[in-house]
Amino acid sequence: MNPSPHPEYLPQAGNELLTFTLGAEEYGIDILKVQEIRGYDTVTTIVNAPTFIKGVINLRGVIVPIVDMRIKFKLGAPTYDAFTVVIILNVAGRVVGMVVDGVSDVITLGADQLRPAPEFGAAVDTRFVLGLATIDERMIIVVDIERLMSSEDMALMDAAAA
Amino acid sequence: MDTDLSHFHQVFFDEAAEHLATMEDLLLKLDLAAPEADDLNAIFRAAHSIKGGAGTFGFTDLTAVTHVLESLLDRIRNRELALNAGMIDVFLHAGDVLGAQLAGHRDAADVDPAAAATVIARLRALAADGAPVAAPATPAAAPAAPAAAPRVLRIAYSPAADDAETVTNLLTELASLGEVNYAADEPEPGRRRHVYTISTTSDESAIREIFDFVALPDEVSIEADDRAAAAHAGADPGFGFFDDAPGRPPEPDPGYGFFSAPPTGEGSDPGYGFFTEVAAPAADEDPGYGFFEPLPASTAAPVPAPASGATPAGPASAGASAAGLPPSAAKPPAAKRGAPPAARAADKSAADASIRVSVEKVDQMINLVGELVITQAMLAQTVSGLDPLLAERLLAGMAQLERNTRELQDTVMSIRMMPMSFVFSRYPRVVRDLASQLGKDIVLVTEGENTELDKGLIEKIVDPLTHLVRNSLDHGIETPERRAAAGKPPRGKVTLRAAHQGGNIVIEVEDDGAGLDRERLLAKARERGMAVTDAMSDPEVWMLIFAPGFSTAEIVTDVSGRGVGMDVVKRNIDAMNGRVEIASARGVGTKVTIRLPLTLAILDGMSVGVGGEVFIIPLTYIAESLQPTQADLRSVSGTGQLVHVRGEYLPLVPLYRLFGLVPETRDPTDGIVVIVETAAGRVAFCVDRLLGQHQVVIKSMEVNYRKVPGVAGATIMGDGRVALILDIPALARKS
Repeated sequence: MNPSPHPEYLPQAGNELLTFTLGAEEYGIDILKVQEIRGYDTVTTIVNAPTFIKGVINLRGVIVPIVDMRIKFKLGAPTYDAFTVVIILNVAGRVVGMVVDGVSDVITLGADQLRPAPEFGAAVDTRFVLGLATIDERMIIVVDIERLMSSEDMALMDAAAA
Repeated sequence: MDTDLSHFHQVFFDEAAEHLATMEDLLLKLDLAAPEADDLNAIFRAAHSIKGGAGTFGFTDLTAVTHVLESLLDRIRNRELALNAGMIDVFLHAGDVLGAQLAGHRDAADVDPAAAATVIARLRALAADGAPVAAPATPAAAPAAPAAAPRVLRIAYSPAADDAETVTNLLTELASLGEVNYAADEPEPGRRRHVYTISTTSDESAIREIFDFVALPDEVSIEADDRAAAAHAGADPGFGFFDDAPGRPPEPDPGYGFFSAPPTGEGSDPGYGFFTEVAAPAADEDPGYGFFEPLPASTAAPVPAPASGATPAGPASAGASAAGLPPSAAKPPAAKRGAPPAARAADKSAADASIRVSVEKVDQMINLVGELVITQAMLAQTVSGLDPLLAERLLAGMAQLERNTRELQDTVMSIRMMPMSFVFSRYPRVVRDLASQLGKDIVLVTEGENTELDKGLIEKIVDPLTHLVRNSLDHGIETPERRAAAGKPPRGKVTLRAAHQGGNIVIEVEDDGAGLDRERLLAKARERGMAVTDAMSDPEVWMLIFAPGFSTAEIVTDVSGRGVGMDVVKRNIDAMNGRVEIASARGVGTKVTIRLPLTLAILDGMSVGVGGEVFIIPLTYIAESLQPTQADLRSVSGTGQLVHVRGEYLPLVPLYRLFGLVPETRDPTDGIVVIVETAAGRVAFCVDRLLGQHQVVIKSMEVNYRKVPGVAGATIMGDGRVALILDIPALARKS
């Protein structure tokens, strides 16, 4: 039984979401957590890190780890070309980047547009799903990106720090 | 006061803390048989300064304690009272109480008023049974001392604004100096005058001080009834506090906004004398309380304050404001106002030649210099490909830029460096208190106090060091009886040593105590189910004490023995990228060595290529690099390869294997072997190629990611790519 989203995490009406595609689904995350959107450039691999952690990049002097969500959620063979998109997030006091298939647009959620998500087999664990939004014909899975990135299986943060 | 002084409180807290530290330091160093006059004066001044500032801000609990303290100190430095060890203890205790009161005001913490009362009582008791020369400091006591005859002084106080409470407070204060009689009259209509007639052995300056905080200088006049007017005229009633010579030009910034009472037209000093003593501390006293020295001096006109010759032993406050006036017999030459400070303590002048800067500004500067280094490296790389003949001036300019950048960087990095004395200074007290608590006789020796260390590391090293010192005292050094039985001198010695070594700072805590007991350690380890063998070397056995919960102490004291401390020490040192080692010999002593990296943000490194990736090896670890020949290589079955270098056989570690990369070559003779030297010994790493030597800015991995084993950090190369900096000691240990 999927619990309804916690009221404090629920984006309020008027909140803006950045939507992006990953595999066959479309996701939405709080725009305030997004620092910037970049292309995929040279990444320095890190020894003995999980395969979905591609490595680190130099973001204007700051070392930022890059996670490929397509590998993490096993969405087929990822390609890296001029159109590959990296969303740089500012979550949990850290700057991290995630590779996605593509970025769609920024939408504003009305109060009535967010519904609790039923149990379904999306790539993202329902723990992190805040609800479903319907915009036009599209179904956007609204994700708590901060919780997702801080979770242990993302292996981005030391357990003590998370 | 109408003005809100609270935003000046922080300055007072900082300075008072420094004064307390100075006081404690000097008290501990005093030689009871022959105390240095300079030191006694400095201690007095410290207490006096605290009192002054506390009074300004109305911290009466501090003034109460410091008043009694400084009176006692005054008598001691004037040789009216003999110094003994018991007094030092009380003074130190008073310093503690002041510190607690200070913390009470600063942090709004709870302060125990009983502690202050106790210390005041103890100080008064010391004053009472001091040398017969001195009169007791208890209020309203009849002067019993035969040697100093009490004088009768007539103090006339005519405040502009009459305040009954002030009048009574003054009466109480004066009463502590001697017998007071009070009368009031009104010589002019509308202006009441309060006359206090006091019979006291104290001098005028002490009385002036009482009036300092409430009265304007021209409102108070002190006359001695039994003194010749001439002698009185010779005295400077203001002692330089109050520059009330009529001809003085008014200060450009009267009172610095502190005092709302407007400067009267009586030609008095609108700065009320508090703020004129700037930038020129006397050889001796500092009536500006040290708080306002950095403020620019108001008009530089020297004050023709007459020498305070009449008072034989009062605080020579004339010093600061008097402009080079001929001193009276005992007075040291006074400093000209605005002129560089007089002869005395080099450290006092050094202290004045410093500026307080917030740590954030310094860190920001270090960051900016770091970015500058990166940009300069990038430019250097871009320019390196140019034809030297065509771009001669450009290349010359780049070389100059590199020199300038390097110099700038060194200077900026050194700003954060502070001498180890900041750390070592707190231990004499710790050792003294703990030794007496444990009933042991221990002396603390420090070496290398001038060794410099980054401020951030200083803060982090204090706790581990404290624990090690306490351990030495508690478990290391034996009781005097046991030491005598062992044929050792009864006085134990703990040595704190700091020195630079390579790119590290080495700190040692050494004691000549009982040493570690190998068998007990092994037994305890076995008891706790740890995997130990008798074949373990001594250093390995000593390292067992860092295991959590490990303690062989028979008695758990509140000092140590719970087994909580050492593992925290190790963890703290590891967090600083440091290493700790122990050497010990039974019956001889123990030495704990801590090694910390010196350089924080910027590193000299050698970039190497392994499997297409670039790694940085810090230059401080590199002993040499070479291309081995087949003859140099040896194979040992089961352990891998060794390389023969200068008579030594070193394990050959291919970096590609450690990192799971595909190398350009697996043949060591085809690539390069880099020999590194760490505390764990020498290791030979195999890399594909040497790329170059750079100065790199260390960027932390943990800020946005996490600690990667084997990696000390990351850096940004000239082409913008990220290169990982190898944690050589960790890699060497692993191999």
